[in-house]
Amino acid sequence: MVDIRVDNLRKQFGSVVAVDDLTMTFPSATTTCLLGPSGCGKTTLMRMIAGLEAPTHGDIYFGDERITRLSTRKRNIGMVFQYPVVYRGANVRENIALPLREEKLTPAERERRIAEVVDLLEMRDAIDADIEELDNGTRQKVAVARAVARQPKIILFDEPITNVDISAKLQLKRALKELITRLRQTIIYVTHDQTEAMTLADNIALMRDGRIIQYAPPRELYDRPNDRFGGWFLGNPGMNFVENFGQGAAGGVLHSPLFAQPVRLVGDAGGGQLTLGIRPEHVRVTTQRQPEAVTAQVVNRVIVTGGQYLVTLRAGDVTLKAKVPTEVGRALDAQAWMQLPLERITLFGANGHKPDIVLQWAPA
Amino acid sequence: MSAVELRNLAKNYGRKTVLRDVSLTVAPGDFTVIFGQPVSGKSVLVRLLTGLETPDAGQVLLRGVDVTKAPAGARNIGYVPQSFALYPHFTVRANISYPLDLAKTPKAQIEPAVQRVAGLLGIQDLLDRKPDQLSGGQKQRVAIARGLIKQTDIYVLDDPLVGLDFKLRERLIEDLRRTQQLLGVTFIYTTSDAVESMMLASQIGVLHAGEIVEVGAPVQIYDEPQRVETMRYVGFPQANFLTGTLTAHGDGARLETPILRTPVAGGLGNGEVAVGIRPEHVRLGGNLDAGYLTTTARVLLREDLGGEEIIYLDAAGALLATVIRSDDHDRQRVEIDQTVTIGVRPQDMVIFADGRRVGRAG
Repeated sequence: MVDIRVDNLRKQFGSVVAVDDLTMTFPSATTTCLLGPSGCGKTTLMRMIAGLEAPTHGDIYFGDERITRLSTRKRNIGMVFQYPVVYRGANVRENIALPLREEKLTPAERERRIAEVVDLLEMRDAIDADIEELDNGTRQKVAVARAVARQPKIILFDEPITNVDISAKLQLKRALKELITRLRQTIIYVTHDQTEAMTLADNIALMRDGRIIQYAPPRELYDRPNDRFGGWFLGNPGMNFVENFGQGAAGGVLHSPLFAQPVRLVGDAGGGQLTLGIRPEHVRVTTQRQPEAVTAQVVNRVIVTGGQYLVTLRAGDVTLKAKVPTEVGRALDAQAWMQLPLERITLFGANGHKPDIVLQWAPA
Repeated sequence: MSAVELRNLAKNYGRKTVLRDVSLTVAPGDFTVIFGQPVSGKSVLVRLLTGLETPDAGQVLLRGVDVTKAPAGARNIGYVPQSFALYPHFTVRANISYPLDLAKTPKAQIEPAVQRVAGLLGIQDLLDRKPDQLSGGQKQRVAIARGLIKQTDIYVLDDPLVGLDFKLRERLIEDLRRTQQLLGVTFIYTTSDAVESMMLASQIGVLHAGEIVEVGAPVQIYDEPQRVETMRYVGFPQANFLTGTLTAHGDGARLETPILRTPVAGGLGNGEVAVGIRPEHVRLGGNLDAGYLTTTARVLLREDLGGEEIIYLDAAGALLATVIRSDDHDRQRVEIDQTVTIGVRPQDMVIFADGRRVGRAG
């Protein structure tokens, strides 16, 4: 169990930069999800760590050992791919045992390791089953068990759930969550699915254009994105953005149609334009007047996850989305009261990053 | 006059019935979503609508005129296919204008038409590019623009967002809804995604095993489903179902499920039933009032969607899902394998016999 360090790591395919001079440490005994849209470089980064792709320049370390030029075999890693790689014609136990033959273990030790992973993945009942008889979710569990039983230094997962049948997804996710929690291995897990990353990861490395935009625990990344990309990419739908927020502020005090009272911008905006960000579920909507609320037109409302209503609201020339509980959504008329709690607002500067600035109520 | 009317359509392939007695009325300006699982018959329905196939029985009426036997070219409808193939050696402009070129539209009318649909979909800046210079989402917008360039009042869109990643779908759902409203035209749109259906539709027709089992506004069929398939599939996460038995008892009946039991009023009948419970109606925690029927369950998994969590539970062998808003301050922090109390109100238990709703348990 070691940490993984990449130092000034770059991968270029022709003129396309897949991984852009990345320096980062992925701590040991931690599961890091590489998350991002297609083309962000997450798979290329993982493939370089695995030794399946040679970097254009830069280095990779497992602990203190520089492994940049080692072959995949010599890196002592376990890998699980999108499609389960299993040996047909062998049962579950044989599938797990096969790579252990190279490890020169005593029979007792080998049995102990098999029992351990089978236990961890809750597949005791399937141990003698023929691979051919299993659904592809259970096959993927076998592939995971085989990677884990070897006790490699690190384990790499490449979208292991994506191609599993819907009916088997829940079981596999649960098994992976248990494994990650109890094994405390160094794991790099590639996914484009934010729910999977938020559910499984200790830390998420959010990637775009070959760079890591933010590296943080899931809830921190979700609640406090340090770049508007994180606000947009996470969430369903992502954050609302109000452009040119702060325009017309006099002495830092701003009168905005979004707030019932003037607000004050405290800190240094760096002279740039500000964007206000707020997640749809944090926009408070009521049918009755509230002290700090403003009126808004209800433009549209639809039912989304868990019977919540996604409501499109217009206040002044600003359009926002609010995700509200069923009872609120159902009771709405053409007009509603809307409130943006200051503590739920994130401000972004002109470069998309978080400026050193906070929002307060202006003293009356 | 309705924009589209399907009357008792049937279609068989050999001895296999793929559509049976499909009737549906679409008013001008409606956004009608035909919602169904894979192989429910959506694609065949699209082929009958667009004129690529003729039905074995029944009629297709467009603008009040029977077009059942009319060829595709004579129906005057726009079509966005599911799999879009852009011509790689054509520019975006030429790809979009292709249907007009094919119809020998005068040159002077083509460019304004291209500008109009490009503007609707926000791709004006891409018109001189080739497809290989576009992202996946841009390509899809070009394909949609090509489907919309024909100026008419009825468009058929066959699952145009399937397979796209969900940030892209989020954006395109907005684009499609706005486009349809701006044009004031009729959209008939197929999908197997429940949330997409509810976000887009003014009316949803639920297609199941070749039959339209229910038609209604999204809120109506979500809140008061009349058929078991509607409750099961229209919603995310999918509704929970328990098997149950109704036994007549005095003026009412007793409802027994493996985990919850309750007396119910009125004559709902006797026998085997299915009991549907929406995820948001399964509540966690010990501080539930007397209106809740309670039992215990083991937590299988917590999935974090950001704004909400889905919690999967095992209640004596029954798999249940519940949804909790992440900002719900009363929410109980639960861990995997923890045993928790869960509660459901009888009025949130919808009872179906032979697939049809017979009532609520409270």
